[in-house]
Amino acid sequence: MTISSLLSIDRKKITLMWFLVPISVYMVVFFLYPVLYNVFIGFFELKLGRTPVFNGLANYKEMLSDTQFLGSLVTTLIFVSASVSIEVTFGMLIAFLLNHENRLMEFIRTFILIPTVFTPLVAGLVWKSLYHPDLGIITYYMRKMGIDIGRGLIVERSLALGSIVVVDVWEWTPLMVIIILAGLKSLPTEPYEAARIDGAGELPIFFRITLPLLKPTLLVALLIRSLDALKVFDIIWAITGGGPGTSTTVANLRIYEVGMNHLRIGYAAALSNVLLIIGVVVGVFLIKFIYKNERL
Amino acid sequence: MAIVGQNSTLHSALNFFRVLVILVILVFIAFPVIWIISTSFSQRIDMFKLPPKLFSAFIIDNFRYVFTKMEIDSWIINSLIISIGTMGLSLLIGVPAGYAFSRINFRGKKVLLIMILLTRALPTIVLVMPFRIIMQSIGLLGTRTAVILIDTVYNAAFTFWLMSGIFESIPSDLEDSARIDGCNPVQAFLYIAVPLSKPGLVTSALFAFIFSWNDFLFALTLTSPDTTTLPLGMLSTFGIMQQGWTYMAAMGVIAIFPVILLSLMLQKYYISGLTFGGVK
Repeated sequence: MTISSLLSIDRKKITLMWFLVPISVYMVVFFLYPVLYNVFIGFFELKLGRTPVFNGLANYKEMLSDTQFLGSLVTTLIFVSASVSIEVTFGMLIAFLLNHENRLMEFIRTFILIPTVFTPLVAGLVWKSLYHPDLGIITYYMRKMGIDIGRGLIVERSLALGSIVVVDVWEWTPLMVIIILAGLKSLPTEPYEAARIDGAGELPIFFRITLPLLKPTLLVALLIRSLDALKVFDIIWAITGGGPGTSTTVANLRIYEVGMNHLRIGYAAALSNVLLIIGVVVGVFLIKFIYKNERL
Repeated sequence: MAIVGQNSTLHSALNFFRVLVILVILVFIAFPVIWIISTSFSQRIDMFKLPPKLFSAFIIDNFRYVFTKMEIDSWIINSLIISIGTMGLSLLIGVPAGYAFSRINFRGKKVLLIMILLTRALPTIVLVMPFRIIMQSIGLLGTRTAVILIDTVYNAAFTFWLMSGIFESIPSDLEDSARIDGCNPVQAFLYIAVPLSKPGLVTSALFAFIFSWNDFLFALTLTSPDTTTLPLGMLSTFGIMQQGWTYMAAMGVIAIFPVILLSLMLQKYYISGLTFGGVK
């Protein structure tokens, strides 16, 4: 290799390094810095218009006995696990049903994507109207069918969270369908041919071949969906605002209340740092998994 | 023969079952969409009648009302400025970076990648609170710029990741031969790599637009009454008007129309973004 070609490779590298500068600076300034700032003010008693006072771990100590926040964490956990498990299961079933090549299936695959682009707040307002305790269509027909929904789906504490989960399932199952369909399409054909030659039935083929081969796709779908479900805010804000009582107050809503309404910014930061840790742990797990199994 | 007959009965039973399940799913998915469209053309008074009807009248008064009596035009403009601004900024910093990332090795490559990927794991509430304080201290709180800046964190990261994958799949031979012919690296990027990566660019742009257009939490915490976006404006009017369903539906149709249209028109790109580049 001549010196000039070496130099030109070097020049290319230097030029291209400059391409990375804007995004790196951007991420440090608008992502890393705010997040670290959040970690930092979690150690302060910071109220709007007052000088911040360092108080060590006091916020975190308070959190341990803050039943409202701990309750909202439990609500978050129930919400995320219920919606994600339903979405992945339904997503898989629907993907199998739609995994045929004809024009009707193609149309359906397009059509089912609509909820994923539907502005979440609008979706929330629509469902809120459908759930309306007197005039909602869903309420009316459920009562007509003799189903006991008390004063209404989003008025009864025991039913509200489930009603929100239904909306989330409506919104995000299609995403799972599309990801799993993509996974199904990329499966190798050889194991199936071999199994058919051996005379294996459909069910054993599904459990012994399809499911294990699909496991990486399913896990990635599950993790991505969990990370996004952890961010839920708009639909709950629109439908119940966290009520009745605190039955649909997920951690995001509680943190918002503490930070924006009570203006206890330091404490809100400490609370949100708990979510940060959960997000980062799941995220790092996901990143490791994806990069072990190539990119999805 | 008997076995074949049994099998085909089983087969048609399964087929029937499949069609039935698909129909149920379609109704479940379509229902809220049909409801909002039909309500937007309904008379307000019909909303109070029981049993609730899906189709009663066909009037366009609701649209006329929201356009004349509300500030919906300024909300639409704010939403558009934020969405297009986010789209532009995300592409501007995400595309060249994705390209460089796919072409060179350097120290800290992994750190950059992890930082980019962690944006997706970051709960929005964790970013928005400190962001508010920072924006306030530099005088940007309440501006559209503040929303563009926070939306871009997520979208530039997505663009970067998607584009680095796209560029990786484009061999660098063409760029190398262009270099020999006297192109500098910037020209090779602009005139050779960028045109070849069009599907990725469309996907990135589409996702940035949809993300910002649909955003609610960032607009809620960072805008002022002058810079209110469409979802935020909708919520405030819906809060004021008891049972203003028909107006809400009209505004909702206006809100979802562009994103649904874009995603259907650019379906292939939309799906490839949803599956994170897994479907080409």
